[in-house]
Amino acid sequence: MTLNKKMLAALVTTSMLALGTGAAFAEDYTISVWSGGSGPNDNYRIDAIALAATLLEQEAAVRGEELNITIEGKPFTQWDEFKQAVTLAAEAGTAPNIVVAGHEDIASWAQSGLIVPIEDYVDLDAWPINDIYPNLMDISSFNGEVWGLPQDAESRPFFFWKDHMRGIGYTDAQIDALPAMIASGEYTLANVLEDAKKIQDAGLVEEGHGFYPRVSNGPDYWQFYTSFGGTIENDDGKLVFDRAAMTAFYQFFVDAVDLGVTGKNHIGTPWDQWYSEVANGQAGLWHGGTWHYARYTGKEGLDDFFGNIQFALIPGGGDNGQANTLTHPLVYLLTEQEDETATEIAAQLVAIASEPRINALHAIKSAHLGISMSESSVGLYSGDRWAREATERLLPHATAMPNNVSFGQYWEVMWGGLEASWTGQKSVEDAINDVETELRAALGDKIVIQ
Amino acid sequence: MGNSKYLGLYLLAPAGVFVFLFFLAPVILTAVFGFTNMSTATGISGGSYVASQSSMLALRDRYGLDDISEQLTTVRYTIDEEGLAAALEAGADPATVNELGDTFLGQSYETRRDVERAIKTLNARPSSVRAIKAIAGQFERSVANTRYETEDEILGAIAEFGIELTETESAAIIDVTYTGWVFTTQNFKTMFSLPDTKKTMINTLFYVFTTLILFNVGFALVLAISTHYMDSGPAGFFRSVWLLPRITPPVLYVLMWKWLAWDSGFLSVMLEPLGFEPRNWMLDSPTNAWTFIILINGMVGASMGMLIFSSAIKAIPEALFHASEVDGATRRQQIWHIIMPQLRWPILFITSYQTLSLLTSFEYILLATDGGPGGATEVWALTTYLKALSNYGGALQYGYGAALSLVLVVIGITLSLIYLKVFNFKDLTAKPKIE
Repeated sequence: MTLNKKMLAALVTTSMLALGTGAAFAEDYTISVWSGGSGPNDNYRIDAIALAATLLEQEAAVRGEELNITIEGKPFTQWDEFKQAVTLAAEAGTAPNIVVAGHEDIASWAQSGLIVPIEDYVDLDAWPINDIYPNLMDISSFNGEVWGLPQDAESRPFFFWKDHMRGIGYTDAQIDALPAMIASGEYTLANVLEDAKKIQDAGLVEEGHGFYPRVSNGPDYWQFYTSFGGTIENDDGKLVFDRAAMTAFYQFFVDAVDLGVTGKNHIGTPWDQWYSEVANGQAGLWHGGTWHYARYTGKEGLDDFFGNIQFALIPGGGDNGQANTLTHPLVYLLTEQEDETATEIAAQLVAIASEPRINALHAIKSAHLGISMSESSVGLYSGDRWAREATERLLPHATAMPNNVSFGQYWEVMWGGLEASWTGQKSVEDAINDVETELRAALGDKIVIQ
Repeated sequence: MGNSKYLGLYLLAPAGVFVFLFFLAPVILTAVFGFTNMSTATGISGGSYVASQSSMLALRDRYGLDDISEQLTTVRYTIDEEGLAAALEAGADPATVNELGDTFLGQSYETRRDVERAIKTLNARPSSVRAIKAIAGQFERSVANTRYETEDEILGAIAEFGIELTETESAAIIDVTYTGWVFTTQNFKTMFSLPDTKKTMINTLFYVFTTLILFNVGFALVLAISTHYMDSGPAGFFRSVWLLPRITPPVLYVLMWKWLAWDSGFLSVMLEPLGFEPRNWMLDSPTNAWTFIILINGMVGASMGMLIFSSAIKAIPEALFHASEVDGATRRQQIWHIIMPQLRWPILFITSYQTLSLLTSFEYILLATDGGPGGATEVWALTTYLKALSNYGGALQYGYGAALSLVLVVIGITLSLIYLKVFNFKDLTAKPKIE
């Protein structure tokens, strides 16, 4: 519990007093919400809070109270600038009331006292929170406490451009069977490189476009580590660096470059160019996220998604690993504030914003997945083919990154090593050795090296 | 005025305050921060003491105190007289408290959620979630996950719940439960043990001196001297053109370079008919990346040297040039014997000034290559920025970043001293013979 007892006592006293006197005076609150990694389709991360505010005000009116809530929203498109802004604002004492961040931020922000556990403010047994998928609630927890509520869920599929697969001899039936073959481990990352090469050799896509991965750092890359049997955190809650899996994962991308199916300087390709290429058949195989659906069919003008693109889990790497996908839910978090009442209001807003009908607005508009069981019964959600199929095909296999204080550092080191070997600055072996040295030096006994 | 000898000091005092606040204080703070493990996870403003699952894991692994770790992690709630009294005192509704006592006195629970559930079964349950939680909190009989502000508070709480500790055990608990930063020399140990540190240092020196010699001093001299021999009209135009990169906003300026170098950009389009595959020319190889970075920085840097050198040349009495021409001196001889000796002081200034500014400048690299491909163009200042203030994982390491910048401060001061020695500062500032 974060509230100490004196504070609680004071709170109870004031709330009892307020109730006792039947306070009828108007209360004005300004609640600020910052959301990270949010593009134009993600406006409901903030707008859902505004909708919730309207409902909360009306509930207050029904009780005969006057409550006025002003929502100040600020979306950030980039993650690094968002995290920088939140951390520095918190240090300066001007943190927003609500932040919409990646679940992996919970650990370090909880330790530093930047955020407070939402379970101190909401009833976890009450609807809609008791209806949220339990695994998403786990992802929002750290050290046995629930720190935030999931804002969305997603998963990161592997994509195939159907025409190009036909171009190298796949029949429609074979293309339809791909997701099952990937799930069962029959189709692996080795096949990915093989098919990418064939597509390129057949002249269907340009050099370096056979396999066209994500162009910047992201949770996606952990999937390939998992594909080769890597574990990020063990049951004890310690980070794990699996040398063999990491080596195989780096080697896979180096092989892709050596084969010419992926560019040596692919990382850093502008996102706009990348989206336009993959949505228009200029790449053979690639990977992305469920939310790409909104971008492909929206801004990029892909009319027939299902007719052109096959999607599946990220293939396994062979004997040790397995097909997988990663879900990276964003979470609504409450920051530590002087004004406890504002935090309580913020908590109620977050709870209301998690109601299925409101959350479905975000899920469908941004092509993310729902957070609760009853959300699949909301017409808007169940009527959407992508939400339905992606939920069924991907979500049962989804893993998540750990909530661990040192994970951010591990992630940066992993990425540095991948980038160095991918671009040919270091051999895979050297890169792995350097990663190991850096992890030992920086994380010491917080990571198990195996 | 008796105080007149102090007048100068008084007049300088405001400047002194600013120098201290904006120049000395940051350096001192950097030095202090450099010896801490400050990060996003520790916060800057200090920590508290929390017996969380992860700190208890550390207690087990680092100190082998399995039993205590087990005891402290166990969350316990007991409905007892003490708690009931405390709830009443805190202002809870007596009806609720009485019913709670009558129904559940003596019961123990493992989570607060269970206590809350118990309270919610009461007829006199409070209507607000907050009031339920406040009452539940009064029955907590363990320290797990509570934030204590001081060492004494957490140790006191542990003692209150009947766990006795030896001095070593207490010290171990304080060590693992503290969430804030501590002083350490680990940053420097880590820095020197990392293979990439050496590479980053070599990158930095390469970047600074190549840009400096080729552009900030070398090309600036060429520009200054060549415009000196032009007519004033074209010379002015020429100098203004070279000022353009400096007055263009960096983001736009770098974006133009990126357009030039993208795989669908100007260079690719122009070179394709000549048989060169289109590619991202800037990130294609470390050599390419460095070429672009030095050009991008050099084009901006040359203009400053050009201005300083041009004005220094302007200050040379014209008569010297006329006299040398009468004596039959060539341009080369004029440059060598008249201009260069007069430029010694400006060259020292530009060299040391630009060394220091290049050492700490990373904005053009950040915008152009972000240290890529694969860290090939990562310089010290960029690493510092990325570690301390901006990274995708959000693990901002203020302490390590400060340690890195401290190294830059030391290098900067050392280089300045070397320059003063090499250029023989004393000679340059010799007392004039005529007062």
